[in-house]
Amino acid sequence: MTEHRIGTQDEWEAERGELLKEEKELTRRGDELTRKRLELPWVQVEKEYSFETEDGTKSLPELFDGRSQLLIYHFMFGPVYEAGCTVCSSITDTIAANVPHLAARDVTMMLVSRAPLEKLLAYRERMGWSLNWASTVGDDFNRDLGFVNTPEELRPFLEGDIPPVVEQMAKASGTDAAGYVAEGPGLSAYALSDGAVYRTYVTTARGLEPAMGYYGLLDRAPRGRHEQGEAEHWLRRHDEYADAV
Amino acid sequence: MTDHKTGTRDEWLAARLELLEAEKQHMRQGDELVRRRQELPWVAIEKEYVFETDDGRTTLAELFDGRSQLLVYHFMFGFGFRVDEQNPGCTGCSFVADHFDGVRPHLNGDDVTLVAESIAPLEQLHAYAERMEWTFPWVSSLGSDFKYDFGAAFTEEQQRNGAEYNFRHVDAPPPQREGMSAFAIDHGVVHHSYSTYDRGVEQLMGTYRYLDLAPLGRKEEAPAAWWRRHDEYEEAR
Repeated sequence: MTEHRIGTQDEWEAERGELLKEEKELTRRGDELTRKRLELPWVQVEKEYSFETEDGTKSLPELFDGRSQLLIYHFMFGPVYEAGCTVCSSITDTIAANVPHLAARDVTMMLVSRAPLEKLLAYRERMGWSLNWASTVGDDFNRDLGFVNTPEELRPFLEGDIPPVVEQMAKASGTDAAGYVAEGPGLSAYALSDGAVYRTYVTTARGLEPAMGYYGLLDRAPRGRHEQGEAEHWLRRHDEYADAV
Repeated sequence: MTDHKTGTRDEWLAARLELLEAEKQHMRQGDELVRRRQELPWVAIEKEYVFETDDGRTTLAELFDGRSQLLVYHFMFGFGFRVDEQNPGCTGCSFVADHFDGVRPHLNGDDVTLVAESIAPLEQLHAYAERMEWTFPWVSSLGSDFKYDFGAAFTEEQQRNGAEYNFRHVDAPPPQREGMSAFAIDHGVVHHSYSTYDRGVEQLMGTYRYLDLAPLGRKEEAPAAWWRRHDEYEEAR
């Protein structure tokens, strides 16, 4: 017998009904936050950033690719990395499916990293992805959003107890903790209007969970994420799982 | 110039930090619901369900494919949004299913199997999956009560006299609706742990998560009006 509490269909339905009320409230509260997000003031981006892309050097307005909105995932792949961050890779696995649907809503979705373009494209081929990935020219684009950390900024973190998961992920990217956390993950959103670019939204940390499609599903599976207390984080690149599909 | 309200970086930051607090609170409320979801009682399934799959006829227990948890997406086929003879898969369910192959290796890596089921012959599902370039397991529940018992399909009698959908009474339900059910197997016994329907399925649609962060949001004239199969958008042609 299972150790989980067992109930009758009626008992399950009663408790499920209670939970549904709160799920609906959470959904409506999420709708309300989306409305607030759309009300944020837009900030004009006056600085000229440039990016190396497969089609040559491009400016930020050119990254919109003819659409009015741009979402950039700041993928942790620093110049010293040998492979892209495992967590960012899992996020990117789930981005591809969204690209045609987002384009239909006038949104261009792409990745940006600090590593040289040829390194990014080689890794993209290994992962079997096809979405656009640009390399930043200089550090300002990521730095201005706080997604590049200097050694001085990192010193207190690196002198403390480094969480095992950071060591694990650093090793998986062929670097050490200092090299790994020099990059930060993030998502930033832009609007293009009359030739001017505006930054509208930036998020990081757990704010990126909406981009991690597997968590939405795991949160509805019988045992959930069950990550607590595990010595090693379960996440791998999609071609690294024992039974890789 | 844009018609949208603009501001300085400091003004934006002040508004963003206020929103961040609300986002964090929302996320913690979500965490609490995840905890509650895992505390739901499990219901042992005593009925035998049989599916047609790539590996022949299989039971619900076999759909777990050696893992301890199973998520089954109730995919509407032969009925649904923008369905006709050439396009038998529901457009909305196709949109949801576009998200499956990217998450599947990670779910499998965390001991969860994800499959879709539809009440249609397996060869029709195969043909549509090939067109959509999907590789997730998709099984036929044709001839089984499965989709009906888990509240995502309705008999002719129910369509006339009413039935429950999303845990409330609906007077005249359509033949099928969208949904997802979760199961756990323990000591050889399959248990039903959770089902979600209607907007609950939005949680599986990463595209909406991204649109909710984009400058102009979903801007839907009417819900679902813009949805197309991924090979039907103007730019895909």
